[in-house]
Parts: sequence; C-alpha cells; structure tokens
Amino acid sequence: MFRFQSFDDDCTLEEEEGLVEEEDEIDQFNDDTFGAGAIDDDWQEEHARLAELDELVRDGPPGPADASSGDLTPAGSNANPSALPPPSSSSRLYPDIDERAGGDLAESLTRLILGSDPAIAGVGTASSDRSHFPPKLSSQAPHLSALSGQSLMRSYQHHQHLLHRGPAPLSQINSHSIWENSMGFGPVNSGLVNQKEDKTLMSIIKEVGLPNRPPTLSREEGRDLSERVPPPRSSSPVIGSPPVRAVPIGTPPKQPMSQVLNQQNNHPSAIHVRASVPLRYPPPFPERLSPNNLLSIANSPLSHPPFPAGVGPVLSQIQRAQLLNSQVGQFQRGPAPPLLQGGVGGFRPFFGQSGPRMGPHGPPLGHTPIRHNTTHLHPQHRRMLNQRMQNRGSGDHVGGRGVGDRKNRDPYSNLMTQREKEWVARIQMMQLQSTDPYLDDYYYQNYYEKMEKRQERDRDNRKEHTTKLITPQVAKLEHTYRPVQFAGSLGKLTVSSVNNPRKMIDAVVTTRSDDEEKREKQVWNKRRQILYTVEKMYSLLLEVQDFEKKFLQTPEHQRDALLEQHKTHTLQLYNSLREKEWDDRVSDEQCLMIMSVRKGKRLISRLLPFLPQPQAAAVVMGIARNLPALAKKDKQDQVLCWLVEPVTAVIQSMSSTSLTDLLQELQGREGQLPLVLQNKFGVTLLYLILSEGERMQSSDPNCQLMDDNRWTELVFSVTRELLKVPSSALSSPLFTPPNLVSLFSRYVDRQRLELLQEKLQITSLSR
Amino acid sequence: MNYMPGTASLIEDIDKKHLVLLRDGRTLIGILRSIDQFANLVLHQTVERIHVGKKFGDIPRGIFVVRGENVVLLGEDLDKECDQILQRVSIEEILEEQRTEQQAKQESERLKLQAVKERGLSIPKADTLDDF
Repeated sequence: MFRFQSFDDDCTLEEEEGLVEEEDEIDQFNDDTFGAGAIDDDWQEEHARLAELDELVRDGPPGPADASSGDLTPAGSNANPSALPPPSSSSRLYPDIDERAGGDLAESLTRLILGSDPAIAGVGTASSDRSHFPPKLSSQAPHLSALSGQSLMRSYQHHQHLLHRGPAPLSQINSHSIWENSMGFGPVNSGLVNQKEDKTLMSIIKEVGLPNRPPTLSREEGRDLSERVPPPRSSSPVIGSPPVRAVPIGTPPKQPMSQVLNQQNNHPSAIHVRASVPLRYPPPFPERLSPNNLLSIANSPLSHPPFPAGVGPVLSQIQRAQLLNSQVGQFQRGPAPPLLQGGVGGFRPFFGQSGPRMGPHGPPLGHTPIRHNTTHLHPQHRRMLNQRMQNRGSGDHVGGRGVGDRKNRDPYSNLMTQREKEWVARIQMMQLQSTDPYLDDYYYQNYYEKMEKRQERDRDNRKEHTTKLITPQVAKLEHTYRPVQFAGSLGKLTVSSVNNPRKMIDAVVTTRSDDEEKREKQVWNKRRQILYTVEKMYSLLLEVQDFEKKFLQTPEHQRDALLEQHKTHTLQLYNSLREKEWDDRVSDEQCLMIMSVRKGKRLISRLLPFLPQPQAAAVVMGIARNLPALAKKDKQDQVLCWLVEPVTAVIQSMSSTSLTDLLQELQGREGQLPLVLQNKFGVTLLYLILSEGERMQSSDPNCQLMDDNRWTELVFSVTRELLKVPSSALSSPLFTPPNLVSLFSRYVDRQRLELLQEKLQITSLSR
Repeated sequence: MNYMPGTASLIEDIDKKHLVLLRDGRTLIGILRSIDQFANLVLHQTVERIHVGKKFGDIPRGIFVVRGENVVLLGEDLDKECDQILQRVSIEEILEEQRTEQQAKQESERLKLQAVKERGLSIPKADTLDDF
C-alpha cells in the first residue's frame, strides 16, 4: 500500500514543512488510482464519524475527536498526492498528539512505522506492548484471513495495538486514512462488533454508496446483470483491447439490499474496497436469503452433478465430488462457513440464481434454494431434491414463480455487450480486407461466385434474399519503397530497417538456359520431365484463364498490352503442343507425352476452350489420332472423359470438312476403330462426331458433308464395325446422342438398323 | 442482428450452451459468454464431461477461460437426452473408470514397447508432438 511505504520515507517531524508544499498540486496519479472516491467522497466526514464510533467503543475522551477532525480539514484536502495525505495529516497531528498524549509520541510513531513495514514488523521492536501482539493476532487471525491484502493485516495489527494502548488519543486513529480505519474495524471483540459493525457498515455503505438498486425488485429478480449501473472507470489506452466495459467484470448487479448480511465480501466494486465487511455466518436458515447468500450456501453441499452447476468454491476434485455426493439439503452452516472462509479469499462472482434457460426440464421448482441451476436436472432428480427440501421444513420459502418466467430469462446474458460484439466483428472484418481479393483468397472468391449463381438459379421464384457478407473493398495503394540514399556516400547503406533489410550476401540469380535444362532433364526421370512441361504450360494457362478478370481490373490504357500478352500466352501454349514444322498439326509425341499424365489431360481439357478454332481442332484431331495409345495409358487413371466436354464444344464448332477429317483420323489405322470402340471416351467421341454430322446434314441441306464420299464411306465403315463387334467389346458411352438412329437409317437397311439400335442402346445403365 | 453472414463467427453463439473439445482431449460443456478475435472463450457454469466406454460423468468446474488455440472444435449443445445409449454415473465412478482405462492403455503401450525393443527396433517417442 502506498501510504504505508510513504511513512518510511517521509514521516519525520523535520520534514513536515517540506511536505506541505506539495499539497496544492493536483496529482493525476491519485485520481487514476483511487478514482472518484479520492475526490468525491468526503473522507473527512467519514473519518470523523468513524472516529466517533471508535470513541464510543473505548469511552475515550470525546473532545479531541472534534478538534482533530477539525484539524484534518485543512490538511487532507482533495488535491493531495496519494502518498502524502497520511503523512501530512499525521505529521501535522503529531504536534497535537504531543500535547495531548504527552510522551508517547516517539514510541507510537516508531510503532506506526515499524508496524507498517512488513520487513520490520516481523523483527519487532523491543517494547512492552509487544506482548499484546501475539494474542491479538492469533485471535483475529481467522477473521483476517478472509480479508484481502496483507496491508489489512498490518493496519489491523497496528490498529489493534493502538486500541489497546489504553486511553490513546483518538488522533492516532485519525492519522490513518479512512481505508485503514474501515479495515481496521474488524471484529475487535466479537460481542461489540456485531452491533457496531452494523452501524458502521450501514454508515459506510450509505456514504460510499452502492450501485443503484431499484427497491421494487424482489430479491429473486434482482440478479439481472443486464441492467447494471457502471461505476466510472478510466479507459485503457491499449489499442486492440476491447472497449472498456462500462461495468467491470466483478461488479455486482443492482439488487435490493434486504439484509446487511448480503454484503458478503463477494462482490467488491471496482473502486471501493469493501473490506470492512466481516465474515458473517448466516443465521440458521434465514427466511429471505439473497441470491448470493443462497448460492454460496447452497452450492457447497450440492449433491447433484448438475449441468451447469453453480460452481462451488475452489475445492479439490475429490473434495468437491464428495461434497456433491453428500446429501443435499443440509443447509447447515457446517460446511458453509469453512468454505466461505477458506475458499472465498477474494470473491466468488456470479452465482446466478438460475442457470441458463436451456429448454424445459421437468416440473417447475417451487423451492428457491435449488432454483439457481437445476433447470436442467433430470426431472426425477429435481423431484428428489424438492422432497428433501420439504423434509427439512423449508416449505415456507417463497417460491411461487412460474416456470415460464424463469425460463425466459438468463441472468447472465449479455455479459458481452453489443459494443464488444461489434468490436470483435470489426476485427474479423478487418481481416477480410484485401486490396486484391483474387490474389488473397482465390478459392473463396470462386466458391462464392458459384454459390451466388446457384442461389440465383434456385431461388429465382422465391423472393428471399440471403444476407451477404460485404467485405470492405480497400483500394490498392502502391507503395514503392525507396531506401534512403545519401548523395556521395561510399558503399552500401548501413542503416537497415524493416523495409530495407541489409543485404548480407550478394546473391545473383542465374536462370538456367533451356539447353542446360534439357541436359539436366535427361538425367531426370521421364515422368518428371513430363510433369515439368505440364506445369510450365499450366502457369501459362492460368495466366490465360485469369485474363478476363485481370482485363476488367486494369485501367483502359493498359488493356491493349494485356490483350497482347494474352494472345502471346495462348500461342505459346499451342506451340508447345504442335509439330515443329507444321502449323496445323499437333505433334503426336508431345500430345502423347502430355496426355500420359493425369495432370496433362486436365491441362488439355482446360486449354481447349481458350484455343482458337483451327488450333483447337488440330488438338482434337491429334487426340483422335492417338486415341488407342491414349486409351491404353489411361487405363489406370480413367480420366479421359474429362475431355468430353471441351471436345464436344470444339466439335460443334467444326466445319464439315474438318469433321470428316476427324472421323477419318479416328479410324486412321488398321484396327483402330475396334480399340476406339472399346474405350468409353472413344465411343463417346465417335458418337459425338456422328451426331454432329447428322445434325449438320439434317439441319442444313446444303451442307458439304455429302460433297465427297468420304463421309458416307466413313459412316459405312463405322456401321460395319459396330455390327461386327460383339456387344461385350463395346464400351458404353457417356451419353448416346438421339439422332444416331436417323443417321444410320440413311445408310443401312432395316435389318441392320435394328441391330445397330441394339448396340446403340448399350448405355452405362444397361451395363 | 446478423453479424458476419456467410462466415464462421462465434458472435451468434454467445449465451448458448456449447460443447467444446480441447486439444488435450477434455470435453467441456458450458455457456459461451464471451469471445474475442482469437476465439478465446469464456465458458460459464462449465462441466467437464468424461466419457469412458458407455458411461459418462460430469464434473462441475465453474468458469473457464480457454485460450483459442487450444480448442479443437466447438458446437452448440442442444441438450438432447442421450440416456438411451450413454449412462450417467457419479463422479467418483467415472474417474475410477478413467483411471483404469489409462492404466490399461499404459500397460499395453509398455508391452508393445517391450516387444518392439526385443526385436531390435525402436519407435521414436512422440514427445514433441501434441497429444491427441
């Protein structure tokens, strides 16, 4: 405690004049530390009253009290620095003491100092009064243990000592601050205390002031934390900490003070140290217990394993388990006082009188003492408890609250205020800010877009709008950091900062040329080689795919450049596939290589939509040409079918000649077609081509498909093959276009048509 | 008021009973009273529920402040009765059961280690790894 320590430093008679000078200074620390209480409360009056009471206790001369309190007035005015009032007042008073007490000053003074200093107190002074200390201490120890702070002990000790110095002048007591006095007013003699205490308590409480308690609230309804009146509190300047709670966590709620008893030391307010409240043993089964008291009593011998239990004090697991298992309803003070004493120490906050309203749980309780957290007990259990309660003759308790009423209110709700929730939400939103959402959170953006489209599709008929999270859009700021440069300085800058870390090593990045790459590639595994190629292509592809989004974001003047870049990329991609010499043909080797890996197939399927028509057609032809080989390689992966969609798109945009070419490619080599037919993708592709041809023919009579016989011949060969191949060797396509029958009907007779139809009807379902 | 739609935010979960699974394997059931940006939780009227086999027991614990990084998962507890499958027992019993289970596990571990050692192999101890 500040004051005691200051005694050591300042409290000598010679220095008292020096101390006086500072009394006019307004000490900010004092205000911050002690809050409004140091200024607003008139501790002098308080003190005077206490002093009077003290006189009554000891039948001391009442005269000095007034005079001393008068003395105090000039001394202890508001602006005193925190450390100073006691010494200044005490030092001022010492001359008075001298007059009155005569002779004891030095002794009492030393004892004051020594008693306050813990280091010295243990050593003790060689005084006749030492003998008083031990017995007093021991008798008061149990009481004191519950009081917080060692300083209390010290002040109490000291106070005790003073009290027992016979007709010691009251001024000595006056030399304490109000805090010490009130703390010192523990149970001096238990008999005396009880009465005096009440008065003291009431006076203190009236003076100091509790948070407003609406008198109309019954004790049951009092514990509504959502209506607390906050004492003022200085706000913490730390950025990033939550907004200052209007009410500190430990603040008691407004509640009616039906009894002084309720002022257990369970709920100290932030400012006022309510240590004057002594421990009291609640009278046997008081009629109207406050919730706090109730819970503190009821909790300890609680037998049920509740959820969520009103928590007992800090016992060991087994202890608690034992307690819990012991019979409930023993509302004796047996377990309670030791628990209160030993366990409390500080305060036990928030034994709400009811647990959270978590749905209906059994019959309503008519008995208050268990009410607090048994709403979720098993109904039978609660009935048992009720019965026990009744057996104890507690039936006269007020319990008539309806279930519904209780269930709807959770006294602990809104501990987290709206402001705090918003604060957390704000932080979370800040984390979502980004200058480039596609860069920072690509997958989420895509997912969100898809979801929105889906919602639009699904909810077109419905009018509801799902709430959308609108993340703040932060403009991208260009920050180019240029390190500080000094003109004419030699060598590198020695100042390094976060943005300009010092270069320790002059590392030069050397990119290996392609030749070297190739040489090194030969050392590698072929597969790795392939993957390497594929990955390079992928990066190009990603650029191409992102082109659209980038296009929208770039400013106007840069768009042309971007377009050029896009074209280059696409060209590059195609170039990696095509034959060295021929522009319109895809290299078989490359194609095979790339398509042998799963990744490559995926790549091609994603690439196809971006290629211009002739190039895409070339790719598809390459695929068709090499289909058997591809099919064989795909045995493990079975992912050729990824290609179906893009290939379909390509085919549908093909010209008739290229279509014919494609069909030819598919049947190019001997025995290719049966192999094609064996593969799912192959069959699908074939059907696609045929269907497209049919569509062309039927829709446009002038189409060039029939100009040369190629198409017809090719179709014939297909039909022949289809008829020849046994059904078991025919793979089921992904889907069967409906117009194949009409196609075939042009070319084959009825009999064969029927057979073909059979074959066509081999779908994946029939397989 | 709908805070942060479309995200996983705990703000809507305040003042509701939750089941929280911690990294050390404990299961806590409590009313979520307060959160912060790290998902540190304040649980009120918490109960630690120990499951051993088909039995479970609740130990009332009071107020918990859980550091966010130690939470594996949490979800709202809708208080559905589970008496058909699980059997609630007293605290002592469940602690006893737990201890037995732990002992049995340790014993089997020991035997395994011994067997492995006999064969000249060694399994590195997972001291540096997180439990569970």
